[in-house]
Amino acid sequence: MAFLNIDSQKDRTYDAIVVGSGISGGWSAKELCERGLKTLVLERGRDVQHIKDYPTTNMYPWEFEHRNEMPYQIKQDNPVVSKCYAFHEDAAHFFVKDKEHPYIQEKPFDWIRGYQVGGKSLLWARQTQRWSDFDFEGPARDSFAVDWPIRYADLKPWYDHVERFAGIAGDKDGLPELPDGEFLPGYPLNVVEKYFKQAVEKKYTNRKVISARCAHISQPQPIHIQQGRTQCQNRTLCQRGCPFGGYFSSNASTLPWAAKTGNLTLRPDSVVHSILYDEQKGRAIGVRVIDRNTKEEIDFYAKVIFVNAAAINTNLILLNSISNRFPNGLGNDSDTLGKYVAFHNYSARIYAEYEGLLDYKVEGRNPAGGAYIPRFRNLHTQETDYLRGYAAGFGAYRSSHSDTSGLGEDLKNSLLNPKLGNWGVGSHMMGETIPKASNYVALDVDKKDEWGIPLLKISIDYDENDEKMKKDYLDTMEEMFVNVGFTNIRRNDSWQAPGLDIHEMGGVRMGLDPKTSMLNKWNQLHAVPNVFVTDGAAMTSTSTQNPSLTYMAFSARSVDFAVSELRKQNI
Amino acid sequence: MKRRSAIKQLFILAGGIAIATSCTGDRKKSSIALSKVDFSKADEDLLGELVESIIPETDSPGAKALNLHLFVMKMVDDCHSLEDQTVFVEGLKKAKSVKGKSPQEIQQYLSSLGNEDKFFSILKRRTIMGYQNSEYVMKNKIIYELVPGRYDGAVKVSS
Repeated sequence: MAFLNIDSQKDRTYDAIVVGSGISGGWSAKELCERGLKTLVLERGRDVQHIKDYPTTNMYPWEFEHRNEMPYQIKQDNPVVSKCYAFHEDAAHFFVKDKEHPYIQEKPFDWIRGYQVGGKSLLWARQTQRWSDFDFEGPARDSFAVDWPIRYADLKPWYDHVERFAGIAGDKDGLPELPDGEFLPGYPLNVVEKYFKQAVEKKYTNRKVISARCAHISQPQPIHIQQGRTQCQNRTLCQRGCPFGGYFSSNASTLPWAAKTGNLTLRPDSVVHSILYDEQKGRAIGVRVIDRNTKEEIDFYAKVIFVNAAAINTNLILLNSISNRFPNGLGNDSDTLGKYVAFHNYSARIYAEYEGLLDYKVEGRNPAGGAYIPRFRNLHTQETDYLRGYAAGFGAYRSSHSDTSGLGEDLKNSLLNPKLGNWGVGSHMMGETIPKASNYVALDVDKKDEWGIPLLKISIDYDENDEKMKKDYLDTMEEMFVNVGFTNIRRNDSWQAPGLDIHEMGGVRMGLDPKTSMLNKWNQLHAVPNVFVTDGAAMTSTSTQNPSLTYMAFSARSVDFAVSELRKQNI
Repeated sequence: MKRRSAIKQLFILAGGIAIATSCTGDRKKSSIALSKVDFSKADEDLLGELVESIIPETDSPGAKALNLHLFVMKMVDDCHSLEDQTVFVEGLKKAKSVKGKSPQEIQQYLSSLGNEDKFFSILKRRTIMGYQNSEYVMKNKIIYELVPGRYDGAVKVSS
């Protein structure tokens, strides 16, 4: 990586700038560098180098001061991030603490962030299900948001491309609603998950239970070895960073690959203030950065700019990129910037027990987490009194328990001789939400952060459609659980705030019409052709599938287009 | 011999808690540094008797040898509210009545408090947590695998 000399403008000029080093920024950087472009990646957080900067990765439970429990005062000081399932002693250093980076919740929104090189790609849940035309055709069919400017066929070769490199484990299930990909061997369902699959698929012809597809190297290929990664070792301690590179992250995969080309300059501690727009040239010319530590303002220049700051921060940067031409944010001729933000409804779960197959147990750990139930509601036709549908996770586990009621030798014996109980099963919903103008993010007019950047106001809420969908999920899953013979069924309706799903999307949506959308079918700002947005901000609708794989595919596809346009001197 | 060396190791490190071994001359302070709750050496010794009565030494080390009294102190100090801490300190004060008594008498006392008693529930919960997550148990009794390297979803249970 090049040494940074920021004395002269020439030294601050690159072919391309990528804002953000997370899952989509890492892909943009890799694809740009591979095509020979001198690329500057700006990351607002500190550097995190693969393996070297994973301080907890090989720690045993007893080596954590509080056995992985977060101290009381930290939880009190950080009510938002403390709600995240992965915020424990082993990974807390990869999460933004509430007070470090405040924002304004006009409505409750749990904004979970990872400010470091690699971003949330170190922390993600690694579920990688492709989107299908049932998703891309959704807004047009059901008359919400705007029509997607692409279809599955546009993205398919890029899904293939990113899957081969990232390493995706999965089975070929032959489902049009969840297209198959370039898979490494899938992680088999356990004996009770298999039982559930068979019982459900026998009873309901349109419902499928498959092995969850995930970004884990179940069987390394030469391309993974070349990245210095190897087979997943089933630790399921992924949030600490993986010394094997067993799961996909920017740190383990795309960033070192980009660096190997000699074309990458990575600048951590670079808080992006705005994108610089030249009114004469009618294009963006660079990016203004505030150094995180020195607070120095530095401008960097490039021919093409990829904004991959993660959905909400990408909105923030564009909103804060003000010029005479764009007084309401860069490229915002449509007045849609910051609006139509949506998310996934993760607010319901259901648990039960299974008293069968008690002569079996599991050994080791499953990085895929178990089974996945693709969306079946309203798939081919509208069936319910709400729009769209939900996918669901499903997992079965059998753990050992000790009776802790006694004291003394009885208690000790019990603790040292735990007994296998019934199987436990659980499911969580992943509901599509409808993007609306009233779910928005905007800049606060007064309050600024310590880098002089306006604080973000977030105003995002559930609606009646979400309530109806959740009730249907709980009723439907309960009925399925009863039908397959599960007992002790417990519904869990958490009404957790939006945001905790960590699938916030939109605000800079793609669309066919510049009057109603920000980006065209190449993720290119309609009004500023050398600026591309390929993270969650670009999503026109949310589907039910985990979105990260789709961001990767969009990034690679969009870079391919941008570089060919550069070569043709169209941008 | 195996057990002895295991116990010896545990004296060096009580699961991340570095034990102050230097002689400060101040005999009244607890042997680990705490930030909020002011446990004295006498409190610490009493806690040692209490945790040992909950998980006693048998043919394997008990709670005291595993330094779980220090772990309980550490958790009360860092992972509980001021309200919990106050209740715990009060409860410990009352428990002085069983100091030096036999393990059976201490157990009887703790049982008489009942599971609803906040002091007892914190003490017991943290002792069990410390035991189950101790290096001794995880290395010798219920083996913790850092790198399983496998997943088998249908293993026959041997009866």
